[in-house]
Amino acid sequence: MQSILKDIFKNKEFERKFSRASLENQIILTTRARIARNISGISFSSANTGEEKKMILEIVKDSFFEKTNNKSKYIFYMISKLSKTQRSYLVEKHILSPEMLLKLQSKALILKYNPQNYNRSVSVLINEEDHLRIQSVLPGLNVKNTYEEIHKIEKILEKKINFSYDRDFGYLTSCPTNLGTALRLSIICHLPAIVVSGKIEEFVKNLAKIGCNIRGFFGENSDVVGNLFQISNQISLGKYEDQVLEEMEAVCHNIIDEEKAARDELKVSRPIGVEDSVLRSYGMLKYAKMLTYGEALELLSMIKLGLDTDMVKGVKHFNFYELISLIGESNIVLNSFDELKMDSDEVDKVRADIVRKKILKGTDKNV
Amino acid sequence: MICEFCRVNEANIHLVKIINGHSEKINLCVDCLKDFAVFPTEEIFNDMTKLLTKVFEVDIKIIDKSSPDKLFDKMAKADDKKCSFCGIDLAAIKSIGRVGCANCYKDFKDSLIPIIKAIHESGEHKGKIPPMSSMDQKLEKEIRDLKYKLNEEVTVENFEEAAKLRDTIKKLQKKLYIGKKIN
Repeated sequence: MQSILKDIFKNKEFERKFSRASLENQIILTTRARIARNISGISFSSANTGEEKKMILEIVKDSFFEKTNNKSKYIFYMISKLSKTQRSYLVEKHILSPEMLLKLQSKALILKYNPQNYNRSVSVLINEEDHLRIQSVLPGLNVKNTYEEIHKIEKILEKKINFSYDRDFGYLTSCPTNLGTALRLSIICHLPAIVVSGKIEEFVKNLAKIGCNIRGFFGENSDVVGNLFQISNQISLGKYEDQVLEEMEAVCHNIIDEEKAARDELKVSRPIGVEDSVLRSYGMLKYAKMLTYGEALELLSMIKLGLDTDMVKGVKHFNFYELISLIGESNIVLNSFDELKMDSDEVDKVRADIVRKKILKGTDKNV
Repeated sequence: MICEFCRVNEANIHLVKIINGHSEKINLCVDCLKDFAVFPTEEIFNDMTKLLTKVFEVDIKIIDKSSPDKLFDKMAKADDKKCSFCGIDLAAIKSIGRVGCANCYKDFKDSLIPIIKAIHESGEHKGKIPPMSSMDQKLEKEIRDLKYKLNEEVTVENFEEAAKLRDTIKKLQKKLYIGKKIN
């Protein structure tokens, strides 16, 4: 199992022909849908025993893999058997949550993922905050299909498993915030124009009014970096699944319109402060020998804005989310020749190399 | 623009802080930035970046309704009652922000309802139900769906449709409550 895992993770074929992704997909970077379910008759994660966790694991694993189709597409992992780097990799890909990495006893993951499609995955988390969480990630804005993916899996499992349910509160979950449909849709979006135009305060207030949570790129309790935001629905009880999907889709279209409008405005008004910031970022990215992750995200965000508003030359068009995936620490370490030699300086150096190669026109690596 | 701190140097750095929906903006120069020391100490932020580039900083601390301490603030004072299935008490639920089992939602219903209503603005499930539900639950869901449609028809003043729906609902309710007390 470990060797198959290593091969999958070390696949070096990330190079893709650049296809000018639609602007829409460069504002909404990924969509993620997840539902939480608990098995009827067993206490929830914070109150159950080790024995019960093992039982949950067996029930879910057996029910899932009984369908022979799944055996070839999905792989089962015990989180405790993954290396620290592999776990971080999965966190970077938003497949595992940081909570999964605490108290590893009986925590497991069933995963369908191909590193060549770095921004697609379908997974089932077992023994996290709830007994099961089924989730799906797709690129760009893709609310209906992410839900379809998880619905398919739910249908398979609910034939064999009785899920904990109450007629008033719907599907019962560990945390009351997840009751009802237990459906959470999150999108990651890149909003540099809204931020630099000073429109971000208004934007955040409006989102709160329409029942959306907004967080930094790394989720709960994280700061905003690279003008990247994670937006999700707050309400899961008292709405039909379709409603949740439609509302999120509508919110996303509004976000796209606002960001587009802000970029168009900048293209025309060209405030000197913004141009300056873009070009300084270009200078840093061109000459820096080492880049930390946070730094790189901030600078790339400015460059992206610069590209879309014609403020910078000498830069190739690039897929922001693809680049974010490439420069993640675990991704760099797992793709290196010798994992052990990769200390943080070395990682920062490789990151700078990747960034230069991906975004600079010409091949002036040695400056 | 002059730095608001020293009022001497040119301000190169603009910070916007949004806390609980209230916003503040401050313009600083590079020297005062060091004194101000507002940046988070997490490793991913490299101060050099901020000194060499102008960074439009966004600091969001929205009332996170799902953070356990905020969430359970509304909960009444905990007494010693324990859940009859998992044994957890309200104090524990309050501190970890999670319930222990499905039965907690029954035993502690009164304490949990205000929290649930605060987050979801509703205490009634719509949407799909498990396939293994009893006939009763299926009927209940149908009735709920029809009631929802009824409200919609009334809103758009389709009173004929609304009347038809009302009759269907009555029939289903009879079916459901035969032999039971009507709530």
